[in-house]
Amino acid sequence: MGDTKPASPDILRGTLDLLILRALSWGPAHGYTVAKWVESATGDALALNEGTLYPALHRLEEKRRVSSRWGTSENNRQARFYALTRAGRAQLRKETSNWHRYAAAMFTALGAPAPAKPRK
Amino acid sequence: MSAWARLRRMLRLDERASVDRELSFHLDMRARELIDRGVAPGDARDEAQRRFGNYDRSRQECVDIDDRRRGHMRRTQYWSELRQDLGYAFRMYRRNPGFTTIAILTLALGIGANSAIFSVVHGVLLESLPYANADRLYRVRTLYPDGTPYSLSAPDFASLRQDARALDRLEAYSLASFAMVGMGEPREVSAMRVSDGLFDMLGLQISEGHAFSAEQHQPGRGSVVILDHGFWTRQFGADRSAIGRSLTLGGRPYEIAGVLAPGTQLPSAVDLFVPIEYDATFQPTAQPARRNESLAVLGRARPGVDAASVESDLARMGQAMQTAFPNTNAGLSFTGISLRDLVLGDVQKPLVMLMVAVGFVLLVACANVASLLLARASARRQEMAVRAALGAGQSRLLRQLVTESVVLALSGATAGLLLAFAGTRALVAARPADIPRLDLIGVDGTVVLFTFGVAVVTGLLFGLFPAIQATGRSLTASMREGGRGVGTGRSGHRVRAALVIAEMALAVMLLMGAGLLIRSFVELTRVPRGFESDRGVTFNVLLQGPSYQNAAQIRNRVRELEARLKSLPGVAAAAASTVLPLTNRGAMLDFAVVDAPPPPPNVNAEIAVGSVTPDYFTAVGAPLRLGRALTEQDTADTAPVAVINETGMKRWFEGKDPTGRFVVAGGVRQQIVGVVGDIRHGRDLSQPPTPQLYGPYAQRPARSPRFVVRMSREGELQESTVRAALHEIDRDIAITAFVPFSKLVADSVARPRFYTSLLTLFAAAALVLAATGIFGVMSYAVAQRSREISIRMALGAKRSQVVGAVVGHAALLAGAGLVLGIAGTLALARTIQSLLFGVTVLDPLTIAGVATVLALSAIVASLLPARRAAIIDPGTVLREG
Repeated sequence: MGDTKPASPDILRGTLDLLILRALSWGPAHGYTVAKWVESATGDALALNEGTLYPALHRLEEKRRVSSRWGTSENNRQARFYALTRAGRAQLRKETSNWHRYAAAMFTALGAPAPAKPRK
Repeated sequence: MSAWARLRRMLRLDERASVDRELSFHLDMRARELIDRGVAPGDARDEAQRRFGNYDRSRQECVDIDDRRRGHMRRTQYWSELRQDLGYAFRMYRRNPGFTTIAILTLALGIGANSAIFSVVHGVLLESLPYANADRLYRVRTLYPDGTPYSLSAPDFASLRQDARALDRLEAYSLASFAMVGMGEPREVSAMRVSDGLFDMLGLQISEGHAFSAEQHQPGRGSVVILDHGFWTRQFGADRSAIGRSLTLGGRPYEIAGVLAPGTQLPSAVDLFVPIEYDATFQPTAQPARRNESLAVLGRARPGVDAASVESDLARMGQAMQTAFPNTNAGLSFTGISLRDLVLGDVQKPLVMLMVAVGFVLLVACANVASLLLARASARRQEMAVRAALGAGQSRLLRQLVTESVVLALSGATAGLLLAFAGTRALVAARPADIPRLDLIGVDGTVVLFTFGVAVVTGLLFGLFPAIQATGRSLTASMREGGRGVGTGRSGHRVRAALVIAEMALAVMLLMGAGLLIRSFVELTRVPRGFESDRGVTFNVLLQGPSYQNAAQIRNRVRELEARLKSLPGVAAAAASTVLPLTNRGAMLDFAVVDAPPPPPNVNAEIAVGSVTPDYFTAVGAPLRLGRALTEQDTADTAPVAVINETGMKRWFEGKDPTGRFVVAGGVRQQIVGVVGDIRHGRDLSQPPTPQLYGPYAQRPARSPRFVVRMSREGELQESTVRAALHEIDRDIAITAFVPFSKLVADSVARPRFYTSLLTLFAAAALVLAATGIFGVMSYAVAQRSREISIRMALGAKRSQVVGAVVGHAALLAGAGLVLGIAGTLALARTIQSLLFGVTVLDPLTIAGVATVLALSAIVASLLPARRAAIIDPGTVLREG
């Protein structure tokens, strides 16, 4: 399946954290839900190595951006649910606005005209 | 936490399982979704795996993160709980100042005593000797047939130096005293003659000037002196220009070569050092002077050579020299003792005894505080129950209570350190009879560390059991019952009774020990000393210099001095001698009785010989038993005569009258003319008296005679009077060591007195604590049983019966403690016996004394609670209870 697609750029680490926070912003979810959301939200444009999702989740938990507890999944299995903490929510807001500014700046920069040529 | 839980945590089993569960959930969900989309199950799993990436790495990362997070959480929680517990503890103690003060004082006493004694043990026993390779140093001595060790002679020393295999260095020193003139008042200084490598072997440094050179040890070249740092400071004000100056010692000029580094200690403390001059006797082949034993020899074992090898090497050389020098060395060998054992030999046991004793005091203190806490524990059950109901687990409550105990113990330790600080100062100030290295004692870092270590252990010891009691079973029941009346009160009481019995038993053991030491001490002072200690004084006179070149000059001067002393008002007798009661028994000389069979091999053919002027026996107050005393008619020109003591008569003449018989002592044939009572010349009164010979001073004069003076009536002979009188005759005479006889006696028992006083002090402390314990238990019992007592009184019991019941109960506890304590003492009988003199462990007088003291204190301690029981008003109690 993957071979048929053109190579997708890897998700940068900081970006992944932001995506996870965003995925949890609608309410508690387990890792698989987060993975699915990232997948669909980016339209598969960014290749997510699903295995890296979990260390990222645990690290966020260590930093107290998210909290976790065991609960029952939609198909009645034990799953670990993550939820944003207050700090996680604040982080999400801040990072999102950072990204918007960053992306806008990049967009502007990349569309800017060539520098004026020095005269001879 | 159980061991299994700990193991699980160590292996991170929980973290692993949880991460595995989470990750496999993800894989399952992914695979199921693929299957739903029509992928074959096998392929679905593979695809899920592929999209997941490196499973193991993710898993490991997650486990690491979780582990770190949990560790952090645990630590945070631990510290916050500890802070909380400390808060509870301080609040609790603030609210109960009486309890807190008593507990802290009790602990301060127990811990402080331990710290004080530990600082002594640490300074004296545990610190190593201040020498290089101290653990390889041995004192090497001549071994006589009866097992007595002596110093070495110069030729024997030279032989050992040449032949030793187990020892790589052998060095020697001997003690001397010099009259120092030309520096203010003439005075006697103590000196040590040292061999060429002694300082080097011991690792002692010269801080000013330089050490002795090799040629300064050649005969006639040794007129140089190195000063002890303390002497340099006292005598020269630590002036560097003293180096190179001249000092007149014993009439001979010495050049000051250097000063020993400060803090340097030798086995004997002296003022200055001069080189041993290696004369003809310092030859391995020398024949004469082999039995002139004057050198203290120290040897250093080769690295890795143990004491047994040193001993066998010395025995081998002893054997070889018996063959090589049969005339002088027959029956003699050599023996080594580690320097540490030599220095600490006779203080080791008593110090260990004191350490055990203070340990007992601390145990009693612990039992007391535990008992207090137990009483509090039943009062606090309701508080505990509430906290348990609010969600605190049992281990959490336990930790809170133990934290409280440790806080208490640490507070006690802090107060105890102050006590120890004062205590060690007092101990050192008491200068208990030249216990070696006492100046090293002080409260230092190690002692502080020891103290707080003891405090933590103590806190656990007295806190754990009451804590278990307080948090134990049926807390909810306590809450229902309002923390009163349930069985726990009764069982707690039983435990407290057991604690009091244990306290009593420990106190009894200490009392027994103290009692036995006191009895020994009394026995020791009762040992016949063979002289009268009242109204006698003694001092040293040193006759050195150009006016005292030969025996006749010395003899005449001594006669003059003696006559001058006798002319002083109030003087009944005055004499000069080379021996002194409880101090010095004179030279040991070869001895044989003419026309008698040689003694059995285990008896040394030798005798202690002193030279005395005729008045000596009158002056010390020793009775003449047989024959005549020495007289003025026994002069240098008349036939040699001698007086022997009673022990000598028993040992050498089978107790038969020896007057008229001839003996040979130190090669001189002399006639026994009389027998005197045993004057104890040795310092240790617990040893039996030894044979002693006295010759006329006129026939065997010495440069540094002791003078003994007896006064006829009450009144003191002042040192200044003596000094003034004798300086009329010669201004350069150095007079030293002026002491009354009574001080000689006191000094000879100073050490046992010191140990006895300390142990008595500890026993008293333990007794007071144990009595407090009885008081506490009885007060509590009376308070708890006021209902029962009221009912009894309502039913007609008399107040005296109530009092009797309470006191009887206390007596029962004390009696049980007494029996246990005596049993404990008997269990240690063998160890204790070795510290005693003249009494056995089962001394009826001591046991009776201890029982009386114990009974009295139990009664006194229970009187107040008994009174309280007697004034209970049954009506009030029964109406309200």
